[in-house]
Amino acid sequence: MLREKLNQLFTLYDPAIQTLISEVLTLEQAYISMERPHIKEPIDQIVSRLASKELERIDEQKD
Amino acid sequence: MKLERITLENFRQYFGRERLDFAKDKQRRVTVIHGVNGAGKTSLFLAINWCLYGEGANNVGELISKEAIKLARPGERVDMSVELDFSHDGERYLVKRSRRGIRMMDGSVQIDSSDEFMMMRILWDGQAQLIKNPIGTINAILPSNVRSYYLFDGEKIDDFAKPEAAKEVKDAIYLIFKLETLDRARRHLETAASDYRKELKNSTSGELINLLDDDERARGELRKKEDRKAEAAVEIDAARRKINDIDQHLRGIQNIKFLQQQRDRVGQDLKQRRSELEDVQYQIRDISTTSYFTILQPAIDDALQRLEEKRERGEIPSNIRRQFVQDLIAQMRCICGRPFTDGSPEHQHLLRLIDNTLPGSLEDDVLEITATLRTFSERVGRQRNDLTAQMKRRAELVDQIRDLDAETDDIGRQLKDSPLEEVSSLELQRQNFLADIDRYNIETGELTRDIEGLKEKIAHLEKRISQARKNERREKLLSIKFDLTQRAADAIKDTYQTYANDMRLRIEAKTKEIFKLLIWKESHFRDVHISQDFDLEVIDRYGRPARPELSAGERQVLSLSFITAMSRISEEEAPLVMDTPFGRLSSQPRNNITKYVPDMADQLVLLVTDEELRDQARANLESRIGYEYQLEFDPMTSCTSIVEVVRK
Amino acid sequence: MTEILNRETVAIDEAAHDIYKQLTEGNNMLEAPFKTMKDMFMWATCLGVKLGLRRPLTTKRITIFRWAQFDPQIDIPLLKAIAIKDSGDMSILLRRNDILTVAEEYANAGIYELRASLLEEYGQPLWNLVSLISELKEA
Repeated sequence: MLREKLNQLFTLYDPAIQTLISEVLTLEQAYISMERPHIKEPIDQIVSRLASKELERIDEQKD
Repeated sequence: MKLERITLENFRQYFGRERLDFAKDKQRRVTVIHGVNGAGKTSLFLAINWCLYGEGANNVGELISKEAIKLARPGERVDMSVELDFSHDGERYLVKRSRRGIRMMDGSVQIDSSDEFMMMRILWDGQAQLIKNPIGTINAILPSNVRSYYLFDGEKIDDFAKPEAAKEVKDAIYLIFKLETLDRARRHLETAASDYRKELKNSTSGELINLLDDDERARGELRKKEDRKAEAAVEIDAARRKINDIDQHLRGIQNIKFLQQQRDRVGQDLKQRRSELEDVQYQIRDISTTSYFTILQPAIDDALQRLEEKRERGEIPSNIRRQFVQDLIAQMRCICGRPFTDGSPEHQHLLRLIDNTLPGSLEDDVLEITATLRTFSERVGRQRNDLTAQMKRRAELVDQIRDLDAETDDIGRQLKDSPLEEVSSLELQRQNFLADIDRYNIETGELTRDIEGLKEKIAHLEKRISQARKNERREKLLSIKFDLTQRAADAIKDTYQTYANDMRLRIEAKTKEIFKLLIWKESHFRDVHISQDFDLEVIDRYGRPARPELSAGERQVLSLSFITAMSRISEEEAPLVMDTPFGRLSSQPRNNITKYVPDMADQLVLLVTDEELRDQARANLESRIGYEYQLEFDPMTSCTSIVEVVRK
Repeated sequence: MTEILNRETVAIDEAAHDIYKQLTEGNNMLEAPFKTMKDMFMWATCLGVKLGLRRPLTTKRITIFRWAQFDPQIDIPLLKAIAIKDSGDMSILLRRNDILTVAEEYANAGIYELRASLLEEYGQPLWNLVSLISELKEA
């Protein structure tokens, strides 16, 4: 499947980056028929969520 | 996507409900739909496009069946719809687009302003679940921007092989392989990263560290002062003990011990008076802070007067209750017991009383408050007297204490001036210790004040530190957000080119493979090439670009090869729906295509004229055909019905 | 008919809160003589009434004590008397909320007079209070 192939392009990158790219691609695909989708909010939500997880992970590593 | 069934209702020349099922077996995956020109092949093709995407309906006239409009009465509604059942990734879906209109008097139809579009998921038990985001879901299954590569208009068959078609080829690859999706993702992520970077610039970092420093310093100072205060207390104790020792000593010295004894007595007295003074001050505090009512005697008198006035006017009969009066009226009996007549003066008087009295509970209130307020003047008197007495006592005590202090000083002077050196030196020491105690007390007072101030400061700092910690966390998060989005955008940028190139090469290889399979002059051509600039080229055996020499048929085969190559490489499950694809091909390429194309798509739907599919071409397809239909056009009604061709 | 519930709390302007705090907080009874906010409030009210000064509360107000803290023998009759004198209408006795509003408005003016007499005069607040009582006795 094309989706899988796209995701496979990024296997050498951090898991967080991979997840971010994968989710944003899914989002973009859903809005592909719109010329100028209002996509800033949804992307920020995805990034915030992933960044929080990253922050927790870093905090846990410190302890 | 695998098509299962289409149902048309009053769509163009399809009057009423017409339905057809699509072949979807692995072996028999071809659906053939025959129709002469004008019978409705193109309408059927259009129906699929319109149903899924709402597209393709411009400039083709009205979609609603003319027959349906004609047969409707003026004012009657006419419904039109196309419904498509399909499956994708193991799920079954139903998509329906409808349009409604009202037939007007003059035979025209007034259409509703917008079409209705609905998508449902059909669960295994047959239940239908409405999908909330139909457009997004369709785009995830078969995006609208690539539909023309799957829902394939035969007129455009040689588009990709035209000399000026580089852009078409590039667009096709770009869209089918979601390069546009990647590109948008990269752009949006870069914008987001840039926004986060801007936000980070307004950072307040460093604040937390400063606050923590301030906090540490304040606490250090606090500790020092508390320690010093404790030290001072110890010093005071020590000094007191020393003074006691001296007193003890002095008591033992014959000549002056009476003075010391006197001092002891005076000291006791002073202690007692000072204690009493403190008590008196507490009393004065208690009395004065509650003496507020004493300044309002005039106001109280005024209120009492108003209440009296009301009473005198009979508005508040002192003992008579409202209920009592009402009872009297009901019994037609006067207060004194004599009966009265209706309308008599006694009756009127009682009625007036009722009108002027206040509601029951108010009357009680008024009585109560009047009684209480009357006691105030006595309270005021007492309060004032108490205060005066206490203030007098205080003055007395202050005088007494002053006198006793003077006496103490005097004794001290006598002792200091004593001819006995031992005595005077002891007394001097004693006075020094007393001075020390005074100093320490003053210092303790200041320290106490400073300590309170520091505690407040620390509490304040704690609040700010907590806030700064929150801010710092927020910034850390922002910093991570920036990092993630920037790196993601960079990752896409770095990978994009490689990926795009990789796709290009794979499509090139596959196109070549298919082209070789389909073309009949195989040996004449050596290679198929898609350049970096996305030119689709065929290389002849002399190593030269052969496109100018390609015949129309050869160009069409090249295009078809390209399309099916893309379909294979993308690995998307998608049907290939072709509207009169063989119209312009000669029999040789047609035969080749019909032999191989069924395996190049997961599902194949062919809309053909009778001429297109004959003889060898027909024979090639025979074993792959699952359903076959004939579009029968009735010239009388201009309507088409879909008739299944029964296969043996 | 809608029931108007009796207010349970007494309010002051936020702007006056500092004065209340200054004269009630701490261990030094000479500097901060008042034991309760209620006593201070009653003083402010009575001063306002005595001097004929009154000031509606603004929207920025805070609660400082509850109705239950009023002394039923002294405070409540006094507040009622003030209310009767103020409105001239007996029925106000039935409306606790109106009684309170009248008191709060007098207090809102009186508090500044209290500050002037206790904090802005030479000497410690407790003795200034005693002087004030004596001054107002004559008036």
